[in-house]
Amino acid sequence: MVVARAYSVPERITLFGVGCAAIATVYPTVSAHTGLELPCPLRTLTGIPCPFCGLTTATVALVSGDAAGAVAASPLAILVAALVIGTLPILVGRLVGLGRAPVPWSARTRRRVGWVAGVLVAGSWVFQLHRFHWL
Amino acid sequence: MTYAPSTTTYANWGQRVGAFLIDVLPNIVLGIIGYVIGNTAISLLFDLVIIAWWVYNRGYLAGTTGQSWGKKVLNLRLIGEATGQPIGFGMALLRDICHIVDNVICYVGWLFPLWDAKRQTLADKILKTVVVPA
Repeated sequence: MVVARAYSVPERITLFGVGCAAIATVYPTVSAHTGLELPCPLRTLTGIPCPFCGLTTATVALVSGDAAGAVAASPLAILVAALVIGTLPILVGRLVGLGRAPVPWSARTRRRVGWVAGVLVAGSWVFQLHRFHWL
Repeated sequence: MTYAPSTTTYANWGQRVGAFLIDVLPNIVLGIIGYVIGNTAISLLFDLVIIAWWVYNRGYLAGTTGQSWGKKVLNLRLIGEATGQPIGFGMALLRDICHIVDNVICYVGWLFPLWDAKRQTLADKILKTVVVPA
């Protein structure tokens, strides 16, 4: 029988978040030397920020210990960081064989989480619109 | 170590990123060589080769067989959600154009397979396509 490790959604986001944190430690240096950046296409084209603007700035601030700077750039990044920090021990525990494999969410739970995520993203958009003086 | 039987019928995010990186690798190499040479005519020629390769690999191969080079290496297949069959040349090209939507919101559309039930990007949702293990 073919078996595969099944990661839960928070675990997948956590793995991605850890990767982003690692990249954020070298991003300022790489950016300074090469000029490479990750501008928001929507903001570049229209001037209007998207809900996810500020995530790069906030992640770089977080890994350098500047929590206030991170909040000022994107509170959404703080929530993602909290998810990563909260889920990391569970993920590591599972990887070393402690605990059972995650159970897939029911359609109802997935829908509820989707609504919560949608509200958070909408809130982030309002924040970014305010940050860039559209509100 | 505890393993769960695989219930996944869709390619995961890591596999999809790997396949995409393989697809764009020739373009990156040619782009860098063209940039280093610095000759306008050669750069233009390389740009045309890059576009032709993209259309062949991501349009023709992915559209008609379900497998671009990257997907073939990673053993994945691009299919229509409803039909389960390759989506065709034009739709495969259109899907890549629709990836603009994934880019617009700070590239977060590309991350949707991390949490989406069908592991779809926004472009996949627009065109009703999925990527599955071959």
